[in-house]
Amino acid sequence: MVRKMSIQRYLSKVYRNFVVRKVIRGIGIIFATSTLTFFIIRLMPSNPIEIFINQMMSAYGMSYQDAKALALALFTIDLDKPLHEQYIEYLVNLLQGNIGRSIAISPGTPVMEVVSTFLPWTLFSVSVSLLASFALGVTLGMIAAYRRGGIFDKVISAVAAVTSAIPGYLIGILIIVFIGVQFGLINYMRGAYSAGLKPGFTPEFIADVFLHLAAPFATYVLSTFGGWMLSMKASTLSVLGEDYVTVARAKGLPEGRIRTQYVGRNAILPLFTSLTISLGFIFGGSVLIENVFVYRGVGRLLWSSINARDYTVMQAVFLIITISVIVSNIIADLLYGLIDPRIRVGG
Amino acid sequence: MASARGLKRVFRTFVVEPLKIIAGSKAGLAGFIGLLLYISMAVFGPYIVPLDTRPKPEKRYLPPSWEHPLGTDFEGKDIFSQIINGARDVLFVAFMAGTLTVLIATLLGSIAGFKGGLWDSIIMAVDEVLLTIPQFPLLSVLAALVRLNNFTLAAIIGVLSWPALARAIRSQVLSLKERDFIEAARALDLGTRHIVTVEILPNLMPYIVVSWILSMTGAIYSQVGLVFLGFVPFTSHNWGVMINMAWTWGAIYYKTSVWYILSPILAITGFQLSAILFARSLENVFNPRLRG
Amino acid sequence: MAIAAQREPVIVVRNLSVEYLTPRGVVKAVRNVNLEVFKGETLFIVGESGSGKSTLGFALLNLVPQPGYVKEGEVVYRVDGKEVNLMKLPPDEQRKFRWKHASMVFQAALNSLNPVLRVWDQLYDTIKAHDRNVSREEAYEKVRNLLSLVRLDADRVLRAYPHQLSGGMRQRVMIAMALLLDPHIVILDEPTTALDLLTQKNIIEVLKNIKSKLHTTMIFITHDLSLAAELADRVAVMYAGRIVELGDVYEIFYRPKHPYTYALMKTVPKLTSVDEELYPIPGSPPDMVNMPPGCKFHPRCPYSADVCKQVEPLDEWVASGHLVACHLWKELKLEVRAP
Repeated sequence: MVRKMSIQRYLSKVYRNFVVRKVIRGIGIIFATSTLTFFIIRLMPSNPIEIFINQMMSAYGMSYQDAKALALALFTIDLDKPLHEQYIEYLVNLLQGNIGRSIAISPGTPVMEVVSTFLPWTLFSVSVSLLASFALGVTLGMIAAYRRGGIFDKVISAVAAVTSAIPGYLIGILIIVFIGVQFGLINYMRGAYSAGLKPGFTPEFIADVFLHLAAPFATYVLSTFGGWMLSMKASTLSVLGEDYVTVARAKGLPEGRIRTQYVGRNAILPLFTSLTISLGFIFGGSVLIENVFVYRGVGRLLWSSINARDYTVMQAVFLIITISVIVSNIIADLLYGLIDPRIRVGG
Repeated sequence: MASARGLKRVFRTFVVEPLKIIAGSKAGLAGFIGLLLYISMAVFGPYIVPLDTRPKPEKRYLPPSWEHPLGTDFEGKDIFSQIINGARDVLFVAFMAGTLTVLIATLLGSIAGFKGGLWDSIIMAVDEVLLTIPQFPLLSVLAALVRLNNFTLAAIIGVLSWPALARAIRSQVLSLKERDFIEAARALDLGTRHIVTVEILPNLMPYIVVSWILSMTGAIYSQVGLVFLGFVPFTSHNWGVMINMAWTWGAIYYKTSVWYILSPILAITGFQLSAILFARSLENVFNPRLRG
Repeated sequence: MAIAAQREPVIVVRNLSVEYLTPRGVVKAVRNVNLEVFKGETLFIVGESGSGKSTLGFALLNLVPQPGYVKEGEVVYRVDGKEVNLMKLPPDEQRKFRWKHASMVFQAALNSLNPVLRVWDQLYDTIKAHDRNVSREEAYEKVRNLLSLVRLDADRVLRAYPHQLSGGMRQRVMIAMALLLDPHIVILDEPTTALDLLTQKNIIEVLKNIKSKLHTTMIFITHDLSLAAELADRVAVMYAGRIVELGDVYEIFYRPKHPYTYALMKTVPKLTSVDEELYPIPGSPPDMVNMPPGCKFHPRCPYSADVCKQVEPLDEWVASGHLVACHLWKELKLEVRAP
């Protein structure tokens, strides 16, 4: 009897080829980004380390030596050593997860600690919103394609075009203005959870978390579903014209099966390649949207650290956001390999 | 050596024909008119509606009226004049950034596609890195370290936005490279610069124009975002500044003050929509398969 | 050798006309076609591109794609002693009828298979869609037998995805797919075009195999006359939407009575005769939106007379089972030299 390939065999086959390549590429980009951050921090004309030292000296009357030592402790970069040695030390520290200590936001605290309290919130809100937006967009797009030219198509396409034109953070502001203020719900639109509420896996905390997620979630979804919808509509229309769909109908297959296995699965494939680009955009957008809603994510942390001139945290957040994008790209590529056999199994 | 007839032909294909088709599409026409309005606003606006700069605390947050069509802000200054005057900076930065993006992307994309080999690998490697790094956080970090003005802001936005377009141009060049008329040009030994500028680029022109317009919308997203977050020092009153001020001065909380934050948002949305509608209809013009 | 088929019609086409509404105008792809298809025979519908033969094929299964529609006429199947007018059936009944009683192998089978599903899944889908009660094992048996009939290795092919198979293999899968439900009739639209010559030969062998083992009624739609020479029992020649000549394969090839058929036979080079010249047919097929009056072939016909320019010829009997639509066939006395 015919046996489908088990998950294990699939994983081992793919490992040898496709994923490994993507991961290596990802590591390369992380490496390039860390290098970029290093040089920004070290070599730019008004680079943060020198500014910090000057600040310490003028504001606190520290000696140059003391200021330098403090800089070493905080930045994990020793200014006495030659540049290439500094670079290597920086990289080694990075690999160990040592990215210095916070200068201003929480002086002395390891940056890793600071970031790890903020990162989960961003991952949570972004992934939930992305999944919902994708699912919504794809479903609407397919319906619009099947009912091309009808009232549903015209209305939803217009809505999609308008909402994807407005910058997401402005939609967030509009939500606060028209719903938050008008209906007195503004409290649920600030923060990741109500102040004073003790975090934990209690039902009331979880409910509170989701209430606070509502507004940022709505903002993400409203600003991104349009793109998915229009892409899926175009893709579905193209697939509907393919021979294998005509043949499937001629064979008398039930329309439901055709819609999912013959049209849907093929139509969704091109969207996965644009998924990787959107991931970068949605993480980048979190910097803006989290500030609109004062949401406790890395986007807000980036803003705080920039305002407080906390360069160690700033550099780390930037790196973390980039790494998140790369990791999600790899996941998206893996998913794509799962759905499209032409990638997974050589021809 | 452009002959008069040649110029006329270019004019016809790139200006008259497209305009005719845009006039046929309602959305495209609306977008086109919208863009014209905004450009006029930016260029002529400040002369017609001078900026109201004197604070009049007694006129704080007035609702719209004949004297103040969009009401007043937290200092009693007229909002309408601020919107009209605010267009200049925003559109200027968008135009500069968009043009810079298109120039860099076209140059690098053509080189990568046409020359191939090492050039291609290097350019594509840089392209991939820039494409993966999320653009807005990088802009934020750079803005934090460098004091930006309109020019430098436009410059870094322009420099960071070229990867996507460059990739598309490269693949277009690659596919065109194989076509017969390029072989013919090569056989006639016409030289790389000539081949690229005279043979290849005119084919890409429609695509480049559409991307140019879309780059401008991206530039507006970025610059307004940066100003809103306070990462760019205010040089003058523009729409982003208005949003920032409205936000920090609590304009969102009062019914009467809501116009202060709503006006710039509507202005920005209006421009983005016009640009996108126009760009999409241009796409239909140059890609007739999509029509109908 | 023409097999003496039982003269029992399984399809009767009466006065069928199919049109396409295009921006340029109404394309009359099929015009007043009358045709009977007999049980167990292999009928070839031959013609140039644009002659309407593919449209006729689609119409037989009521699958004419947009913007086409059946203007008038009917397609009546004689199945299990009953008469079924396909176009009059409700859509659900049509769906059940299709593939069970009559199936089709589409042109360019290269894209007829869903790229994301394995071959087995697509074959099993077809069986399940028509009979939920068939068990997996039964289905597998059936599929296995059909695949061996088309000379494919079941174990290798069923597990594979379409992109892993060659063009010839995919074509054979489509043929097996068409035979899955034991249809009485199979329509094949250009089954060998887009394949290289060696693969074509394989497919022809497969088709001969099917013909001798299953005795299915087969309708071929093609412009390839050599294929007709190998497989046909009867040939119908189409031009500008009408059948201009119809008859036994030997009659058509050696005693063509219509000038078009005659010219077609003359265009096929024969290996055996060295000194025969090639006579391409001058001119081009008519514009299907604005067709010339009278006989549609007259602009290209070397023998056309005044009557040809004014009146469209009706069908006339040449001999038993041999029809022609030409005013002048009696006078022309056309004949092709036999080998």
